[in-house]
Amino acid sequence: MSEQTLQYVDNNSFVHRADALSKLILVLVVVVTTFQLTSNDARGIMLSSLLMLAIIFARVPLASVLKASPLIFGVALLLGMFHLFVTPGQQVLFTIGPLSATQEGLAKGLGYFFRLSIMVTASFLLIWTTDIRELMVGLVSVGIPYRYAFAIFMALRFLPIVQQEVEAVQAAHAIRGRASRSPLAHRFRLWQRYLFTVIVNGLRKAENTALAIESRGFGAYPTRSYVKGFRWSTTGMILVILFVSLGAGLIYWEKVILGL
Amino acid sequence: MTLPPSNDLLVQFDRVTYKHYGKTAPALADINISIKRGSFTLLVGPSGSGKSTFCMLLNGIVPNLLGGKLAGTVTVNGQDVSKTPVQELAKSTGMLFQDPEWMFATLRVEDEVAFGPENLQRKPEDILQSVEKSLDYVNLTGLRKNLVWALSGGQIQKLGLAAVLAMEPPLVVLDEPTANLDPATTHSVHELILRLRDEGKTVVLVTKDLDEFMSQADDMIVLANGKLVAQGTPREVIQRHGAELLELGIWLPEPAEIGLRLRQQGKLPAGETPITVDEAARAMKNIRFKQEKARGEKKTPGEVLIRASSIQFGYSRKTRALRGVSFDIRQGELVAIVGQNGAGKSTLSKLLVGLLKPSGGELTMFGRKARDWNVQDLANDVALVFQNPEHQFLCDTVHEELEYSLLAQDIVDSVEVQQRVKAMLDRLDIADTAESHPFSLSAGAKRRLGVATMLVGGRARLLIVDEPTYGQDKRLTERLMELINMLRREGITVLMITHDMRLVDAHIERAIVMANGEKIFDGAPSDLFRSPELVERASLRATALRRLTDALRAGGCSIPDGLNTVDAFVDAVEML
Repeated sequence: MSEQTLQYVDNNSFVHRADALSKLILVLVVVVTTFQLTSNDARGIMLSSLLMLAIIFARVPLASVLKASPLIFGVALLLGMFHLFVTPGQQVLFTIGPLSATQEGLAKGLGYFFRLSIMVTASFLLIWTTDIRELMVGLVSVGIPYRYAFAIFMALRFLPIVQQEVEAVQAAHAIRGRASRSPLAHRFRLWQRYLFTVIVNGLRKAENTALAIESRGFGAYPTRSYVKGFRWSTTGMILVILFVSLGAGLIYWEKVILGL
Repeated sequence: MTLPPSNDLLVQFDRVTYKHYGKTAPALADINISIKRGSFTLLVGPSGSGKSTFCMLLNGIVPNLLGGKLAGTVTVNGQDVSKTPVQELAKSTGMLFQDPEWMFATLRVEDEVAFGPENLQRKPEDILQSVEKSLDYVNLTGLRKNLVWALSGGQIQKLGLAAVLAMEPPLVVLDEPTANLDPATTHSVHELILRLRDEGKTVVLVTKDLDEFMSQADDMIVLANGKLVAQGTPREVIQRHGAELLELGIWLPEPAEIGLRLRQQGKLPAGETPITVDEAARAMKNIRFKQEKARGEKKTPGEVLIRASSIQFGYSRKTRALRGVSFDIRQGELVAIVGQNGAGKSTLSKLLVGLLKPSGGELTMFGRKARDWNVQDLANDVALVFQNPEHQFLCDTVHEELEYSLLAQDIVDSVEVQQRVKAMLDRLDIADTAESHPFSLSAGAKRRLGVATMLVGGRARLLIVDEPTYGQDKRLTERLMELINMLRREGITVLMITHDMRLVDAHIERAIVMANGEKIFDGAPSDLFRSPELVERASLRATALRRLTDALRAGGCSIPDGLNTVDAFVDAVEML
C-alpha cells in the first residue's frame, strides 16, 4: 500500500550485505564522534556522509528518505529553532515580534540540529538496511541473552505497524469533519486522539503479538537454536573502518588544523 | 471406518468453567467434552459465545498468560493446561490466529517458518527439513525469500499455517482463518485445512464458512453464551439441534438451513436433513416451485450522484491500483463492490470520500469535480464506515461522539443537538451505552456507532460500508442490513465493499466487480454468477444456494427467478 518509511528496504546493496553488528557499531561510532565534534562544518560533513551512504551506497529510494525527513529533521529543526531564539548573544541577526535571533543562537541552533539529525539518520540507516533477525542473532552471538536481543527486534518491528496505524487513524479522523471553529483546538484534540487510539490499538496488537509468539514456544528454554548463524562480514569491517577514519579525520581537522 | 480407541483422546475438558480477569460472567460454563486424536472438529457459535476462549484454553494462553479463574481441568496431549507453561504446550498445540500478521516475528518467509522450531531448540538440519516440508505443503516454496509484509492476505494465512506445521504439533487450532479473504482464496485455504487430517493432525476449526466442511468433519461443537449447546457429528447436530442453531443466529450452510426450514413447514418429509449441496439436490429432486413472477419492483433510477470516467490511481509509479474505471452511482441505489484482495476496492472507496485524488480520468461527485472537494466538506455528503470503527472514534463517550459529528456539521443549537443524538441512539439501539466509552462496546455496537456518527447530521447522501459482515454473526449482520435498508428507504445511497457472496446475492441489485484495478463487470449479481469465467477472474465463488439451484435446474427442475435467499427459496417451494 502506501510507502512505508520505517522499515527494511529490500535490496541487495553494498550496505545491505554488511553484517548487522558492524552496522550497529557504525551507528555507535557515528554517535560517539558526533559528541566529540565542536564545529558545525564537521557535523555537516558527517550528516552528508550518512545521507550519501544511505542514498548512493544503500540505494534507499529518495522517496523513502524524503518521506522520512519530517521524522529525521522535524524534531531536530524544532530544537534548532528553539536554541536560535533563546540563546543570548551580542549580534542580533533578525527579530520576529518579541523574539530575536542571534549569531550565537544560530551557531548553537545549528549544532543541535546537526547532532540530532545525525543520530536519527544513522538509526534510519540501520532500519533501512538491516534484517532485524540478523541483528538479533548477532547480539546473541556476542553474549547478549536472546530475550533482550529480541526486545530490540520487536521494537523495530513495531515501528511500521505504528506508522500504519497512525495513517489509518488520520484518514478516519479526516472524514469526521471538524467540530471546532478554532483550528488550533481542533488540531490539539486530533493529536490527543491519535495518541489515544494508536496507543490502545498498538498495545492490543503488542499483546496479541506477545501471546502469539509465546504460543510458538518463544522463551521455552534459556537458549534457542538458529538455522542461520551470525558471521562477521568484510563489507561490514570496511564500513566501520571508513567511518572510524572519517570521525578521526574530522576530529583531527578541528583540533589540529582549525585549532578549536 | 474404524474409530480410534476410546482412550485415545487428545483433548479433554472436565467440568470447565472460566472467567476472564475482572469479569463476573463466565466466558465458558461447565463444559465437558473430549476430542479424539486424528479427528476434525468444527467449533461454532454466535459472536461472544466463547469460541476464542475455548481455542486459547487449548494452547494455554488462557489461563496461563491472560489470568482469570479456571475451574475444572483441561487436558491436551496428556498435559494439564493450567500446570503447563504455554511454551511447553506449543509442542502439542499449534494455533493459527485470525490475523496471523500479529504472530510474525521475522522479515522473511523462510525465517518465519523456522522461528517456532528454533525456539524449541530443534537441530538446524531438522528445522531446515520441516521448513521445506511446511512451505511445500502450503505452496509457498517459491516465495521463501520474500518479505512477509509483501505477501497477499491469502499467502499470509498460508504462511501462518506453515509456521504452525513446522513445529509439528499433533493438534492444530484455527480461529477464523479466512475471515478476511476473498471467496476463491478462502476456498484454497479450506482445501489446505481439509488435507491436514491426512497429515495425521487433529484439527479444531472456528469458521462461519461451514459448507465445505460439513460432510468432512467428524465432530461439531456448538457453544452459546459460554455453554455447550451440542456436540456430535455435523449431521447429528443439524438433525437434533438444527432449529436451535437457527434460533441462535449461527451461520449454517444454506442447504442445511433450507432443509431445516422446509421440514419445519412440513414440506420435507421427516428423515435426514441434507447438509451439503449434493445431498440437498438429491433430496429435492422432485421439488416443485410456485411459478409466480418474482415481484421485482423496478425503481426508476434517481439522479447521478457520482460519475467516474476512466479514473486512474497509483500508490507509486510501479503499482497502478486503478486503471481506468468508469461507472455512475445514482441516488437510492444499493451497490456492492466485490473482487479479490488487492483488486482496488479500498482505493476506490478512499477516492470517493476524498482521502485520495484520482491521478487520471474524471471523478465528479455531487456535480463537483473530485479535485475541488476537500475531505472535510465532502464528509457532510459522504459517510464511510471503516472496517475497524475504532479508528473513527474521537470522544470519551458514545453520546459525545454523536455530538461531535453534529458540531462538525455546524449544528450547534443545544436543544437540537440533544434531540438528534437521542433519536439516533434509539434508532440504532445503542441508547443504553450512551455514557460508555466507544472502545468498550461490543463488536456489533461499535459498527452501529460507526454508522451513527456518520448519519446523525442527517445530511449524508452516500454511505460507504467496508466489509459489513466482518466479525459479525448472522443476527448482527441481519440487523445491520435492516438498518441499511431502512436508510435506503429514506433515500440514502449505499455502497458496500464486501467478500460475502451470501450478502451480495441476498441484498444487492448491482455489483461492481473489480480485478487488478479494472472493472470487469457491472450489473445484477444473478448475471454475474451465470458467468463462471467472470466469477473465476474476480476470485469469487457462487453461494451454496446458487450451486443448489443450479444443480436442481440441471436435474430438470423449473426454478423461478429471484430465489436469492433461503427465505425466498423456502417460500417459493410448493411441494416436494
